[in-house]
Amino acid sequence: MKDQDYILFEEYLSKILPLDDVEAFEARLKTDLEFNESFNFYKELSSYLEHKFKNEEASKSFQENLQSISNNHFNKTETTSNIKEKSKTFNLYKYAIAASIALLLGIFALNQFSNPTYNDYADYGSISLTVRGSNNELLNTAEHAFNSGNYAKAEDAFRNLIKLDENNSELKLYRAITNIELNDYEMADKVLEDLRRGNSVYKNKATWYLALSKLKQKDNKACIDVLKTISEDADDYKQAKKLLRQLD
Amino acid sequence: MGEKKIHEDQKYIEGLLNNNSFIIQAIYDKFVPKVVNYIKLNNGTTEEAQDIIQDTLVTIYNQANEKELKLTCPFDAYFFLLCKRKWLNELKKSSKKEVTINEEILSKSDEAQELAFETSVFGEKEALFAEMFQKLGNACKDLLAATFKIKSMEDVAKKIGVTYAYARKKKSLCIGKLTELVRKSPKFNQLNN
Repeated sequence: MKDQDYILFEEYLSKILPLDDVEAFEARLKTDLEFNESFNFYKELSSYLEHKFKNEEASKSFQENLQSISNNHFNKTETTSNIKEKSKTFNLYKYAIAASIALLLGIFALNQFSNPTYNDYADYGSISLTVRGSNNELLNTAEHAFNSGNYAKAEDAFRNLIKLDENNSELKLYRAITNIELNDYEMADKVLEDLRRGNSVYKNKATWYLALSKLKQKDNKACIDVLKTISEDADDYKQAKKLLRQLD
Repeated sequence: MGEKKIHEDQKYIEGLLNNNSFIIQAIYDKFVPKVVNYIKLNNGTTEEAQDIIQDTLVTIYNQANEKELKLTCPFDAYFFLLCKRKWLNELKKSSKKEVTINEEILSKSDEAQELAFETSVFGEKEALFAEMFQKLGNACKDLLAATFKIKSMEDVAKKIGVTYAYARKKKSLCIGKLTELVRKSPKFNQLNN
């Protein structure tokens, strides 16, 4: 293609081509195959560049978050598989020692887990909100306060954010968790009940956190009742079953 | 295309797009172990699996961002096929051979095959575009970064101290140059075949 063609493509795309020229341009797109192909490719690269630069920050924060979740995940599984591999080399008398240690650990664990606590199960990690949305400063504050454990400040930010975006289930869920942390159970439970009855993606999460809220309130009966409603396809189903076993 | 029903697993795509830690975590808990298993059975290590998975999720994120990815099949099948394809390409590159292609791990619908194929072509194209962008001269790189970050071309022109008409013309030529670099690369022909 000639330089002149690229200039024409850009003028057409930025809608500054005079009307007569637009007609001529569109007619040529229909008849000149090579021109048409080049134009579409130009458009494709232009769209690629636009997204690349516009989303640079959001994409960076996504990749950082992904990296940390990934590292966490793989460190956990790596440790368990290391233990498994080593255990293969154990011979019989080592098994005996291992068994007695296991017994001691078992007794220890029994004591530990007979009283499961909120902190054993609340595993929400850090959140990342500053991707899209117009009120970036407030989102920043909420995210930062939440991740650094400053829940009073986070509550403030979430309250204001939800005022601006009343139907945002994600924000509501985080606000509810914030309220659990602040021991404001009435507020937390109300929001979680709503989410649980709704149809958002956060339905299952909300049910799980409602159970944890009850656990933190030491209302084991209510906790059990909620746990029993967690569906099998929920991400926290395994954890819920485990907690149920400990409470029953 | 509009006729196809969007699968409920679209929530995973939205979750990635919104950088939602809960959803990303759920993907790792539910779908990643199978991929790791597959890669380890096929000459790979856990570390390699970790990289493949991360790259795949970034590709899905980018496609969702740029092309409004609509999932018409279960995420499980789609994600597995994508990772698998990426891993097989990786093996081809490093010429580690003897790949067991175990097609029985999942029953994969045509829909999943098609969608995974689309995404992986998208990913390979993006990688090629990024590589070629780096080959542009600095003047082009800076100008393009400025034009797409700053909305108004007038402001761009002011910022780099040229006239508006010149900045726009330069932008067209730089994108034109980029299209030529991409077209000339051997990888581009492989992708289009």
